Amino acid sequence: MRTTALAGVGIVAATALALTGCSAGDSSGEADGPVTITYTNFISNGGNEENLQAIVDAFEEENPDITVEVTTLPYADYGTALQTDLAAGTVSDVFDIEYANFAQYQANGVLAELDPEDPSAYRTSVLEAYQSDGTQYALPSSFSTVVLFYNADLFEAAGVETPTADWTWADEQAAAEQLTDEAAGVWGDHQPVSFYEYYKVLAQNGGEFLNEDGTAVAFNTPEGVEAAEWLVGKSGTVMPTIEDGQGTPDFDTNLFLDGKLAMLHTGIWMFGAFADVPFGWDIAVEPGNTQQASALFSNAVGVSAGSEHQEAAAAFAEYLTSSDVMVQTRLDAGWELPATSDEAALDSYLTLGNPENRQAVFDSLENVALPPVVAEGQQEMQDIMTEELVEAQAGRKSVQEALDSAEERINAAIGG
Amino acid sequence: MTALIGEAAAEVGAEARPAASRRRPARTPGRRSRRIRYALTVLAFLLPSAVPLLLFVLGPMVAAAWISLTEWNLLAPATWVGLDNYANLLTDPETADVFLHTLYYIVGYLPLVYVGGLAIALALNTALRGRTVLRGVYFLPVITSWIVVALVWRWLLNPSNGVVNTVLAWFGIDGPGWWTDPAWAMPSIILASAWKDLGFVMVILLAGLQAIDPELLDAARVDGAGWWRRLFSVTLPLLSPATFFVIVISLINGFQVFDQVYAMTGGGPGGATQVVVQQIYDLTFRYGRAGEASALSWLLFVVILAVTVIQIRGQRKWVNYG
Amino acid sequence: MAETTFAPTTARAGGIRRRTDAARAALTRSVLLHVVMILGALAMFFPFYWTVVTSLTPGSGLGSTPSLIPADASLEAYQRLFADLPFARVVGNSLLLATVTTLAQLFTSATAAYAFSRLPFRGRTVVFGIYLATMMIPLQVLVVPLFAELRAWGLVDTYLGALLPTLAAAFGVFLLRQAMNQVPFELDEAAALDGAGHFRIFWTVILPNIRPALATLAVFAFMGSWNSFLWPLVVLRSPELQTLPVALAGLQGQYTTQWDIVMAGSVVSILPMLAIYLFAQKYVIQGVANTGLK
Repeated sequence: MRTTALAGVGIVAATALALTGCSAGDSSGEADGPVTITYTNFISNGGNEENLQAIVDAFEEENPDITVEVTTLPYADYGTALQTDLAAGTVSDVFDIEYANFAQYQANGVLAELDPEDPSAYRTSVLEAYQSDGTQYALPSSFSTVVLFYNADLFEAAGVETPTADWTWADEQAAAEQLTDEAAGVWGDHQPVSFYEYYKVLAQNGGEFLNEDGTAVAFNTPEGVEAAEWLVGKSGTVMPTIEDGQGTPDFDTNLFLDGKLAMLHTGIWMFGAFADVPFGWDIAVEPGNTQQASALFSNAVGVSAGSEHQEAAAAFAEYLTSSDVMVQTRLDAGWELPATSDEAALDSYLTLGNPENRQAVFDSLENVALPPVVAEGQQEMQDIMTEELVEAQAGRKSVQEALDSAEERINAAIGG
Repeated sequence: MTALIGEAAAEVGAEARPAASRRRPARTPGRRSRRIRYALTVLAFLLPSAVPLLLFVLGPMVAAAWISLTEWNLLAPATWVGLDNYANLLTDPETADVFLHTLYYIVGYLPLVYVGGLAIALALNTALRGRTVLRGVYFLPVITSWIVVALVWRWLLNPSNGVVNTVLAWFGIDGPGWWTDPAWAMPSIILASAWKDLGFVMVILLAGLQAIDPELLDAARVDGAGWWRRLFSVTLPLLSPATFFVIVISLINGFQVFDQVYAMTGGGPGGATQVVVQQIYDLTFRYGRAGEASALSWLLFVVILAVTVIQIRGQRKWVNYG
Repeated sequence: MAETTFAPTTARAGGIRRRTDAARAALTRSVLLHVVMILGALAMFFPFYWTVVTSLTPGSGLGSTPSLIPADASLEAYQRLFADLPFARVVGNSLLLATVTTLAQLFTSATAAYAFSRLPFRGRTVVFGIYLATMMIPLQVLVVPLFAELRAWGLVDTYLGALLPTLAAAFGVFLLRQAMNQVPFELDEAAALDGAGHFRIFWTVILPNIRPALATLAVFAFMGSWNSFLWPLVVLRSPELQTLPVALAGLQGQYTTQWDIVMAGSVVSILPMLAIYLFAQKYVIQGVANTGLK
């Protein structure tokens, strides 16, 4: 009795699975009349839920036939929930994606083709990041860049010139060394040792992370080694070591907040957190070596290829990412930067107060280092790179050994 | 006294056996209907749990077995690969690594948490003042989430200014890198886990201790048995069902350790603490290799099953019921 | 001391001295025990204390050295907890799910345990083994097929969908079976002689005698549901249905985390659990009086 029941349930479960495999593909035609679409996001998490609601409300007012049901998930676990949805065919009509996952989702056909009414409303570089062969598959909702923050007071006290747009690694290194005072617990420069920093400094040194067709890595070159050493070499000299706590959550920002860090590589999302510090601070575009390159992070929204309300979903996606309401809401709330091409609207951003040199945010967009993406093995590639670099940072491997090992392992992960 | 109970149990065993013999060929209608009634009784008691378990655990387990025969990235439909996943796993040295790391965890964790939990349970079973409060405090870590516990332990074990290394420095010992050091990362996780689960073991063993008739201990004391002797000859044997439970559950959970690894080291540094379920999670949700993940989980299942069966078979040798 | 005052015989002197020494030794042991237990308790309590301190420190990041006394202590984090999240609703959801789960598991575990303890049948050990086997596959792997199954039945994003997989758990069956095995068969016998069938024996003989185990199971079942994260994350999506751990995880944003609110949430999350545990402890202690031995 038990065995038969077991088999029975197993068959039911397997059938359900098979059914879900089929269901991802069917999308019926548009229904006339009132439509309800679902939107799953993580971008509003952690404080911006009301701002998102304001944008949704405005959309619903302009489109009385469409109701939007919003679900907000924690960022860290969004991937788990989204993938479960995609596997079972329950993904929302519209959903958030990160740039790093775009290639994979697009390659697996889960994103619908989009045809925005007004592509000129977007910043070209960010918009193009979400195209494949000229077809738009997602629309950018926001972007952030990584810049160099610095503690102006510490610079003044040490009599060192503050960073300018012409700085190179050498200048940064020299300043960092002068500003480091281990005895007083003051450090010169903090830059995380991770995949996210590496592909950027690689670009700053004229190197490439992947080869032309994205099937193998291309960083194991003299430029690549130099770039890795730029990252790894800071540990223990101008930056605390891992044993001191470097790499733990908020370590770098806390050090900066305490006034114990002269320079810090982090994202513009920290503006709000640094607003009330007791010392003067500002930002500058990250110095490069042979060229400048700044890291660009962006989030986007996609429409599910299996959605039954393609039109309504696409309309919402476009509204969410390019409407004036959205631009204004984001700027007012300091909620990342909208990927809009409307320079006038962004002007207000420049005068919002600390830091003064907000122009650097837009300057950093001149030379962007986009994350390398592959259709398969993206996360593994990132994990392996970070792991190997940390091995070098901890002194357990030489930089060359780490790069050799990373090359071998990553090629295996993305080539197969 | 134990002998008496043993006798009674044997008697009852003999009485229970007729139920089995009653199920041999039904010779009279009375016997048959009693058989059916008994079968229905058994069903009535088992169904409330069997149905949910079948539908929501065993069913998905079978589905997972099916998935293990495919390659699936969760985004596109699965493709059939037969036993390839198993073959790959069994020949991949990384598989042995993750199992070894898991074993390392268990061997370090189990004795620590059992002895610690036992000590506390014994202490709290006496007329200790404020023991109600103490019982609550020792249980606090159990109900605290790993997010918080991991943060605290990472701070405690901070190599440069954590409490532990600071105290060690007073004695002139240069504390290790703890969770930043591949050699010490697993011990760090073991320490944090044992600390957190002490309360769980304490609760189980305390319930078991409470069920021990104090007259037995008095009798032993009157016979001249010292504290250690009483512990090993009376308490522990009578506690053996609870101990058995703790060990079986701890092993089943130990092989599936995940939350603390995910929260404290994420499998690092350099993969030094990558345990089986962390690997399964990574394969499923980060690397899009759900087929391999399912295959790995079935390998794990076989290991856990074998270990558990050995324990259940062996319980007759040392576990005393009643 | 005693000898000079009372001038007893040698034997009695030795006896009294031995007893006084024994009393002193016992006192030292007792004091030592108290000290050790209190130190241990402090070690156990410290993380909770630190959580509370951080929750009372507004706008706190995670300092490399957490302070022992909160600087500018304020309840701001708690206020924001209720403002930023539909916190009352979230706590209500968790309470509802945990309570139903606990009651269900008590019922399903006790009935199954009775069968495994008192109802011999052919293949019983194998069936028990299958029950245990359900604990041997990690949830991470079951999540996807389980989700697909519930979706096929239209139960995604419903309380029922969140509850169904939690109604029965082999852990409880195992725990209660161990406890029931320790209840002497003599008691069953006596009741049977009075004409009681299995259902009556179950209810009047077995259950009252395993109260400590039932209370223990209640605590763990409640805790398992209260702290459960992966399954509610995957199956519940509407904000009205979200549970506490998922809501708390949501406080950790993509780039930054508001630690003071996270800690406030953790504190609030721990308190009901603690209350349940302390309440259940009463039943665990009553145990000896009800074992009915002799």
